[in-house]
Amino acid sequence: MDKKNYFLDEKPEKLTYGGVFRKIDDWARARSLWVVAYGTGCGSIELRPTFTSRFDAERLGMRMVGTPRQADVLIISGYLTVKTLKRVIRVYEQMQSPKYVVALGACPINGGMYYDSYNAINQLDLYLPVDVWITGCMPRPEAILAGFKRLQELIDSGRADGWKKYIENLDWYRENQRKIIKNWKMPNYNW
Amino acid sequence: MEILERLRERFEVLEEKVQRDDLIFVGTTGKNLIPMLVYLKEYEGFKTLVMISCVDWIEEGKFQLSYNLWAPKQKKNIIVKVFIDRKQPNFTTIYRIWPQAEVYEREIHEMFGVNFEGNPTQGEELILEDWDDIPPMRRDFDTLKYSMEKFGERAPKSRINIRREISEQYDEWRRK
Repeated sequence: MDKKNYFLDEKPEKLTYGGVFRKIDDWARARSLWVVAYGTGCGSIELRPTFTSRFDAERLGMRMVGTPRQADVLIISGYLTVKTLKRVIRVYEQMQSPKYVVALGACPINGGMYYDSYNAINQLDLYLPVDVWITGCMPRPEAILAGFKRLQELIDSGRADGWKKYIENLDWYRENQRKIIKNWKMPNYNW
Repeated sequence: MEILERLRERFEVLEEKVQRDDLIFVGTTGKNLIPMLVYLKEYEGFKTLVMISCVDWIEEGKFQLSYNLWAPKQKKNIIVKVFIDRKQPNFTTIYRIWPQAEVYEREIHEMFGVNFEGNPTQGEELILEDWDDIPPMRRDFDTLKYSMEKFGERAPKSRINIRREISEQYDEWRRK
């Protein structure tokens, strides 16, 4: 077995956040949230009507982008299996900070209907910092829009700081991640 | 059904059941399975392998493999069942007859631990990466216990206990 450690244990050196223009930056960030087009579970089916013409999230300045490097928001849409969690952590760490996580549905909160599944995790906040929870199974697009409105408020007031907590408590998150991911086995990457 | 008579002439048919006009169940032995599948494919027009499924009969100590075939011209299904020993679950691959069987067999190996000799990709991870327990679809695998140990518990304890009692009662009732 390959025993090389592929987890990123060192923290990112430079954080481009804060400074004199932080409030202006936050104001602008809250109005142009770009979302990674990545669905982990059944909840991503609700994202299509949210982002297309009927509910039209683009009027809030939101749109889907294809790569994590351009994105601000990662949506965990529904249940997460261990196999998907590996990819989600990788996607999350490749995003540029500041970055925000929105969890959809009951499954990331306490396992939902998959609470006794051998393969779906029960609590997402052990492995990734979550800024906004949206409950429901699945939440309607209206609920998702309300959740994003809440996320905008949090960003505006500078309280959406999950990404900072993630970097500060990286050891704790890594310990939890290592408990269920036995073998990382993925190509190297950076923050 | 004429096809059942033709099968009885050629192979050992342990059980048979006509569920509908277009759905027949046939049980056979492990030795007869591959000749029967080849016969059904080449002579009777069952050209498509729809799926392979596995059932865990823990009380009888057996795994049941079901090969679901489809004849496009006659528009008929036939399901060929075969029982194998649960303690030594070894069987032969059929991927030389239908190449798509390779993936089904790989999944059954992952979920039930059935060993298909000759399958080239057997043992590669399909869904479960780094699995460290007995195969999860076996009935003696306690999925709730595994989930609570590995992922932590979140729901109130009382509710889980109630649910577990109900499922145990259901198991007992089914064993009767």
